[in-house]
Amino acid sequence: MTERFDAVVVGAGPAGSAAALVLAQGGASVCLLERGPFPGSKNMYGGVIYGRILDGLIPQWWDEAPVQRWVTRRCTTMLTAGQALTIDYRTSAWGSPPYNGATAFRPDFDAWLAGKAEAAGAVLVCSTTATGLLRNEAGAIVGVRTDRPDGDIEARTVIACDGVNSFLAKEAGLYHHAEADHFTLGVKEVLALPRRDIEERFGLRGLEGADFEIVGCTGDVPGGGFIYTNLDSIAVGLVLSLPGLAASKRRPEDILAEMKTHPAIAPLVEGAELKEYSAHLIPEGGYDMMPELGQDNLLIAGDAAAMCLAAGIWLEGVNFAIGSGAAAGEAVVEALTRGGVVAQPLEGYRRRLENSFVLADHKKLRRAPGLVLSDRVQSRYPQLACNLAERMFTVDNPSPKKGMVALGRQEIKRSGVRLRDLARDAWTGLRTFG
Amino acid sequence: MTAGGARLGAARLGVAMKWVDLRPEIDSLTGAVHTDARFSGASGADQAALELALQLGGTWGADVVVVSVGPAGSETMLREALAAGATQALRVDGDTAMASQDVARALAETFKGLGVDLVLCGDWSLDRGSGSVPAFLAGAMGFAQALGLVSIAPDGRSPCGLSAQRRLDGGRRERLRIQAPAILSVESGAARLRRAALTRVIEARKATVEVRPAPTPVGAPHLAPTRVGPYRPRARTLPPPSLTLSPRERVLALTGALVERTPPQTLVLEAPEAAERILDQLRTWGYLT
Ligand SMILES: Cc1cc2nc3c(=O)[nH]c(=O)nc-3n(C[C@H](O)[C@H](O)[C@H](O)COP(=O)(O)OP(=O)(O)OC[C@H]3O[C@@H](n4cnc5c(N)ncnc54)[C@H](O)[C@@H]3O)c2cc1C
Repeated sequence: MTERFDAVVVGAGPAGSAAALVLAQGGASVCLLERGPFPGSKNMYGGVIYGRILDGLIPQWWDEAPVQRWVTRRCTTMLTAGQALTIDYRTSAWGSPPYNGATAFRPDFDAWLAGKAEAAGAVLVCSTTATGLLRNEAGAIVGVRTDRPDGDIEARTVIACDGVNSFLAKEAGLYHHAEADHFTLGVKEVLALPRRDIEERFGLRGLEGADFEIVGCTGDVPGGGFIYTNLDSIAVGLVLSLPGLAASKRRPEDILAEMKTHPAIAPLVEGAELKEYSAHLIPEGGYDMMPELGQDNLLIAGDAAAMCLAAGIWLEGVNFAIGSGAAAGEAVVEALTRGGVVAQPLEGYRRRLENSFVLADHKKLRRAPGLVLSDRVQSRYPQLACNLAERMFTVDNPSPKKGMVALGRQEIKRSGVRLRDLARDAWTGLRTFG
Repeated sequence: MTAGGARLGAARLGVAMKWVDLRPEIDSLTGAVHTDARFSGASGADQAALELALQLGGTWGADVVVVSVGPAGSETMLREALAAGATQALRVDGDTAMASQDVARALAETFKGLGVDLVLCGDWSLDRGSGSVPAFLAGAMGFAQALGLVSIAPDGRSPCGLSAQRRLDGGRRERLRIQAPAILSVESGAARLRRAALTRVIEARKATVEVRPAPTPVGAPHLAPTRVGPYRPRARTLPPPSLTLSPRERVLALTGALVERTPPQTLVLEAPEAAERILDQLRTWGYLT
C-alpha cells in the first residue's frame, strides 16, 4: 500500500520542519521524513541561530525554544602567529526579547521545531531515509521512495530539505555546477567547562552568550574559526576550504588543535574536557553555486539548495533554511488552494525567495565567498592590521609617536600588499558589504 | 531437555521489553551515568526477542503482545514494536529504578491476565545487566525458563514445540526442547529485528498503547549499587607457568621477581607535568603511539 499526502518533505532539519509547519498550518496533509532516530540527531553546526525569521511562524518563540544562551557579545578576531586584534561588540539589547542570536544544540532545536510541525498536523516519520524520487510512467515526480518495505510515498509535491549534498536535488539534475571549491568542511569540538568558568572567561552573566568569529587561524588553508558559548560547554571550530585542505594534506583536527594553542585562544579553552567532535560540509559558494530551485512537483530548500550564507563575518544557515523552507511550504499551500486547481508551486516559491532576505542577501553578498577566502583577507590583511595595531600601541620613547598615515604607509609596504589590490578589495568589499 | 510439559495453549505470545538509554554517557572520573531519553529504545537483545516472537507468531498464527514496565517514554518503543508487527502493546507505568522483582511481578500479572504462556525477552538489560527479570518472571508465573538462548525455532514435531540453543562456556552449545509455558530469554545476536513497513509506522503513531498502573512494590530488597566508582579494567589473566618448571621457578614466573625491569619511581609533580609523565610512560610501554 502506498501512502498519499499533499506534500512530502524530506529531512527534518530547520528547512524541512519549517516547510512542514507552514504546510500543516495551511491545512495541507504533509509527511515529514527524517533519516535519524529523531530530528536533529544527525545534525551539527557551529552554534548560533538567528531567530527573527521565527517571529512570523511561532509567536513568542523565545519563551519556549530550547536555547542555551542569548548572544550579547560578538567578537570578530584577526589572528597572526603571536598577535590578535578583536572588534568586541556587546549590547544588553540582545539579551532581552525579541533577542538577536542564540546558541542552541541542534538535537534540541531541530526536535523542538519538528515538534511544532507535528503539533500542527504533520506526520513525522523518523529512522526512514528517502532513497530516491518516485516517478510515474510519464516520468513526472509523484513522490519519494524510502528504505522501508512498502516504502513509497506519493505526494503532489516533494520538498527536498535533505541538506548539503542533497541526493534528491542531484537525482533531479538541478545542480549544474557544484565544484569542490563551493564547499567548506566545518569541524567542531564541544568542550565542557563549568558554567562559572565560562562566565568568567568570556565576561558573561546569567544567560548572556558570546560569539567569536576568527580569521587567520587556519594556517595555509583558507577558512575561519569560531567559538560559541553554551551553558556549560563551548563550541570551538573551523570552517576550511575543501581544495585548500586537500592541498595542504593536513588533518582538520590538527589545525583546530593548533588554533586552541594560540595565546589569545588558549586561556579561553584550557582545562576544558572534550565531549564531542563532529564534521560536516557547508555549501559556501553562495549565489553563484545555487542550483535550480526545483522542477515540476519538486522544490528544494535550505542547504539542499546551497542557501547557507557564508560571508566571512556572517555564517548563517539555519535562518536561511527556515526562510526558504517556509517559502516552499507557502508556495505549495498557495498552489493547492488556488481556485481548487492544482498549480505548480515552483513559480510561487521563486517569487517568495526573491522578495525575501534569502535571495536578496545572497545576491548582494555573492562576491563575499571569493573575497573572504582570498589569500589577502585570510593572512595578509590580518597581519597588516595586527602590525598596525602593535605599532600604534607600542610606546617607543624617547622616539616621538608617529602619525597614523605614516604608520599605515609603512605597514602596507612591509606587508607586501599592493595598493592596487588593496583598493580593489576595498571596492569589492564596499560593493559587497556596503 | 524439556522445559515444562504443557503444550502452548493460547494463541498468544508475550514479549517483555525494557526502554533504556542505548548510549548513556559515563563520566570516566566519577562513574556518574547521564542518560538521554531521546537516545533510548529497546536493546539489541529485546529486539531479537521481539523478532523471534514475530517469527513464531507468524508460523503459529499467534498474536504477539508486547509489554513494557517503564515511564511514558517507553511508548515510542512500544509503537515501534507495533509497527514491526506486534498485535498489542501495553505499558505498566513504572520508573526505570524499580526493583527487578517488582518489574517481574508487574509483567507476570499482565501476561497472566492476557493468557500468555510463552514469553520472550532479552537476556539482560543494558542499564542493570543482571539478567534477573527473566528469572524472577519465570518464578512469579511458575513457568520453566530457558535463559541466554542464541536461537529458537519451531521443533517441527509437536504443534507448538520449540527447539533452542543456549550458549555455554568455552564455545559449547546446549540444545533444548521447549514446550510452553516457559520464559525464554535471548541474546542480541539471536535475531535481527525486521524493518517495519512504512504504512505500519504511520499507523502505529496513532495506535493505542494501553497503560496500567504498577502493582504496589512488595518491598523486596532492590539490588542497588552502594557506590558508584569509575571504570577500572579487570585484572589481566596470566597463563599458568609450565609444569615442567620447579616450584621456585614457577613462583618467580608468576611474581615476576628477579626479572630485570625499571624500578618504580614516586614523583611529586604539578598536575600538568604529572599528566605529561603518565602519557610519556604510556607511550614508552606502547599503549599510546
Ligand atoms: C561547522 C558548521 C557550523 C555552522 N554554523 C552555523 C551557525 O552558527 N549558524 C547558522 O545559522 N548556521 C550554521 N551552519 C549552517 C547550518 O548548519 C546549515 O545551513 C543548516 O543546518 C541547514 O539546514 P537544512 O535544514 O537545510 O539542512 P540540515 O540541517 O543539514 O538538515 C537536513 C536534514 O535532512 C535529513 N536527511 C538528509 N538526507 C535524508 C534522506 N535521504 N532522507 C531523510 N532525511 C534525510 C538529515 O538527517 C537532516 O536532519 C553551520 C554549519 C556547519 C557545518
